[in-house]
Amino acid sequence: MTGEERKTLCEALAEAIREASATGMLINKGILLTNLKEHGIRDYDEQESPDMEALLAQTLAAHHDLAALTSITGEMLYHSSTLLSRTYASILDRKSSPVILIAEEVRRNSAEYPRPIPIDLFNRAPFDLTTEQVEAALKCMAMSSEFQDISFTTTSTGAIYLFSIRHLERPYAAFLAERCDTGLLLNP
Amino acid sequence: MATRIGGFAGRVLRVDLSTGKISFDDTVERYREVLGGTGIGYKVIWEEVPAGTAPFDAANKIVFATGALAGTGVPCNGRTAVTTLFPSCWPRPLVASGHMGGQFAAKLKYAGYDALIVEGKSDKPVWLFIRDGRVEIRDARHLWGTGIRRTTLEISQEMGQDSVVAAIGQAGENLVPLSVVMNSVSHSAGGVGAVMGAKNLKAIGVQGGGSVRIAGDKSEWERLVKFHLSILGSNNQHVVPSFPDPHSEYYNPTSRWVGAPGRSWGAADPPVEINGGLYDLNRIAFRANNGVFYLGEQAWKHTVRGNGCTGCPIRCHTILKVPSVAAKYGIQDIAQNTCAGLLFGRSFFKCLPGGLKSQTALEACMVGMHMADDLGVWCNYGQLQRDLMKLYYDGTIKAKIGSKEYTSYSWDKYESGDPLFLFEIIPRIAMRQGELAHSLGLGSGYLLDHWSIPEEVWTQDLACAYWKLGHPKHHANEDDGQCGVIINTQYNRDSQCHSHVNFIRNGLPLAVQKKLAAEIWGSPDSVDGVGDYTPMNIHKARRARWSLVRKELHDSLGLCNWMGPWVASPIKERGYSGDDSLESRFYSLATGLQTSREELDLIGERIFVLHRALTIRDMSEMDMRNHHDLAPDWIYQDPNGAQVFTRGSIRMDPQDIAKAMDMFYELMGWEKATGAPTADTYARLGLQSVAQALAAKKLLPGGKP
Repeated sequence: MTGEERKTLCEALAEAIREASATGMLINKGILLTNLKEHGIRDYDEQESPDMEALLAQTLAAHHDLAALTSITGEMLYHSSTLLSRTYASILDRKSSPVILIAEEVRRNSAEYPRPIPIDLFNRAPFDLTTEQVEAALKCMAMSSEFQDISFTTTSTGAIYLFSIRHLERPYAAFLAERCDTGLLLNP
Repeated sequence: MATRIGGFAGRVLRVDLSTGKISFDDTVERYREVLGGTGIGYKVIWEEVPAGTAPFDAANKIVFATGALAGTGVPCNGRTAVTTLFPSCWPRPLVASGHMGGQFAAKLKYAGYDALIVEGKSDKPVWLFIRDGRVEIRDARHLWGTGIRRTTLEISQEMGQDSVVAAIGQAGENLVPLSVVMNSVSHSAGGVGAVMGAKNLKAIGVQGGGSVRIAGDKSEWERLVKFHLSILGSNNQHVVPSFPDPHSEYYNPTSRWVGAPGRSWGAADPPVEINGGLYDLNRIAFRANNGVFYLGEQAWKHTVRGNGCTGCPIRCHTILKVPSVAAKYGIQDIAQNTCAGLLFGRSFFKCLPGGLKSQTALEACMVGMHMADDLGVWCNYGQLQRDLMKLYYDGTIKAKIGSKEYTSYSWDKYESGDPLFLFEIIPRIAMRQGELAHSLGLGSGYLLDHWSIPEEVWTQDLACAYWKLGHPKHHANEDDGQCGVIINTQYNRDSQCHSHVNFIRNGLPLAVQKKLAAEIWGSPDSVDGVGDYTPMNIHKARRARWSLVRKELHDSLGLCNWMGPWVASPIKERGYSGDDSLESRFYSLATGLQTSREELDLIGERIFVLHRALTIRDMSEMDMRNHHDLAPDWIYQDPNGAQVFTRGSIRMDPQDIAKAMDMFYELMGWEKATGAPTADTYARLGLQSVAQALAAKKLLPGGKP
C-alpha cells in the first residue's frame, strides 16, 4: 500500500468516526472496517493491508479532534471529542452498566469539581435511568467491596446527593449538597 | 477633538425641577475622566451635593447615567446606574447606586444623552418628556397614585411605541425608602424610587431617533462583537451547561445554563422547541431560563420566552404565563423578572407547601411580581423578607404592634405559605399603612432603630444574612471566602459586585479555575474551592481589587456586571479562558481613544476611589477601617461549631480578615490603619482636588495633599 493510499484510508476512517460522533455514537474497529468496505473506499484485505490498529493510530495522530476510549468491555472505541466530548462519550459507553455508570460519574464529580451530584440527575438525559434502575444499582453497590466509596448525603429538603468518600469528606459533601439543593436557590 | 470621539452621545441633560430650567453639559469635556454611569454619579454628588444633605432634600440630586458602550452592539450593554444619596443607608444616608437594565440606557443615548441629572423639587407631580432635543417637564397629577404599569402605558401611548418609560409606583410616591424606579416592565433600580418621589418626579419617558457612533474600524468592531458572543456562557457567565452535552467536556447542575435540546418554551404560542447546537451563536438566548433555574422543570411549560436588555442575548428575565393565578388570585397571568425580583413573593415564606420549586412557590412568585413590580416596592436584595421572617418568628412583631393591627394580618396564611398573605403585606408597605408595614419599608437599619433593636441581633444571625449599614451581604464568604468579605465591606448598600462570583460559580472544575486564576491574578491560590477556604494571601487581595475595579468599570461603561467580566469561556480550544481586556478593546474601538487594559482599569479605580472619598466626606470620618469597612459577627461563627478553614465551613477568622484588609488597603494605596486613600493615591488617580477638599476637612491621612 502506498503512502497516498494509506492517507486516503485514514481520511475515510476520520470521516466515519466524525459521522458516528455527530449522531451521538461511539464506533469500534469492526464497524469502522465495515464502513470502509460499504463506502467502497477500497477492498480492505486484512491479510494484505496494513494493520487496522496502526491505521487508526495514524488517523488519530493526524486528526487532533479524534480520540480513543477504552470501553468498560475493554474494547477500543473512537470518537471526535469536538462532536462527542470525552465526558459524554464515557457516559454513553457506561450506559450498559448502570452500576459502573453511576459509580464512575459520582467519582469523577467528587474528584474533579469537587461536588456531590443529585441522584435524580441519573433520571435525565443522557443517563436516562429509571428510578428503579438507580435504586437497584445502589443496592448492588452497597453489597460490593468495589463500590464501598460511593456514599450519599441527604439535604434539608430530603434530596439525596451521591459522592465518593475517596475524594470528599462527608461534612464537605453535605455542605456542597445543601448549597446546590437550597443555598443557590436562596442566594441569587 | 471632542466631536470626533465615538461611543459617547455627547451631552449630559440636566433638569432642575425647582426652577424648570433645562440645561446641557458636554459629556467628554466634563466627565470623560470618569467615563459615565457611577463615575458621573459620584462626580456630581461630590461636586454638587453638600455633605449633610438628606436624601429627600431638594438639594439631593439623582443621576441616571449610562456609558460609552450602551446602545452599541456590544453584548450585555443595557445598563443605567442611578446614583444618589440612599434613604435606606443607615445610620446616615450615604452615596450609593441602583442599577437597571432594560431599554432605558440605549434610548437615552439615542436621544443624545449619556446621562440625566435631576435636581431640585417640583411643587406638583411631574414627568419628564425627552424626545431627542426636545425636553419638557409635564404634569403628572393624573398619574400620581397609579402603579408603574399604568404610568408606563399612559406615557407610552402619549409618546409612541418606540419610547421607554422609567417610573415609580406608589411606594416611591409615599417616600418608602425600599422603593424602585422601573423601566421596560421589569427592570428596576432599587433604593432610589423615594428620591424621585420626594422630587415629585413620577416618571421619565425617553424617545430617541439617533444612534451611537463607533469611531474605530467597523470590521474590527464586528469581529470583536462576534468574539465576545463566542465567549459568552449563560446568565452570570456560567460557562458550562447544567447537564451533560455532547459538545461540552464539563457540566454543572448548579449552572444557570439550563436550556437543553428537547425542552421548550411551552407557554409561547405556538410553543418554541429548543433545538440545534447549544454553542450556536444564534441560540444563546435558549441557554438561560431563570424561571426554570429557581422554580424547577415545571417552569418550562409556563415559559413564554426570555426577556432582557438592549444588545444582550442572555435574556435573564423570564416571561412566565401561569393561567391558574388569574382565576385563583384575580391577577394577570403573565409576569417577568429575574433573580431577587422573580423571587420577590416566594422569599416571604419560611415554608411553602411542596418546597421551593412547587406550584405554590411558582404562584407566590407570580403574585409577588404582580404587586411589587407595579407598586414599586424594593426587597433590598431579599432583606425585606428576611427581616419580616425574623421579626415574626422571634415574636417581635406581636410585641411591637397593637393587637388590632396584628390580627389584621392572616398569620396562619403566612406560616402555611399561602400566597394570599402577599396581598396583605406588599400593598401596605407601598402605602405605609400601619406600624409593621411602615417599619419594614424603612429598610433594616432604620427599622431596628425605630423598634429599639440592637443591630447586633441582626449581625449575629447567619440566617438573617444582614451585613451593615442597613443592607445585606451580596456574595460574601458563603461564595468566595475572604475575597467576598473584602468586597462586601466597601459599599454603602449591598455590594452588587459580581466580578468575583461570576468566576467562582462559572461551573468549571476547580483545577481549571485555578489554571485560569494563575493566568489572570498571578497564582492559582487566588481562588479557593467554595467552603474550602485557605488562609489569606496577596493573590486573593489582588482578585478582590480587580473585582471592585471591574464592577465600577462596568457600571460606568453601561455594561452588565451581572454578566461580566468575561475571563472564563465555554471554549475548550481556549482552555476555557475568556478575555481580560475585552472592556478596553471595546472602549478603544467605540471611542477611538486607544486605551489599554491597564489605563482603563486605572479609570475604574479612580471611580471607585471617588466613591470612597464621598463616603469619607459624608461620614466626616477618615477611619474607614473601624467605622465603615465592617463585617457582621456571623461570618466568624459556624452553626456546627467547625473551626476556621475546615472544609464545609464558611467560618472566617478575625485575624485573617484583618490581614486581608491590610493586604487590600496596601494594594489600593490606602493607609492601613484607617483604610483611607493617601494623598499619593489621590494624586496617582488624578484626584488631587478631592484630596485637597478632604485635607481641608482633616479627612486625609497625613493631613496634606
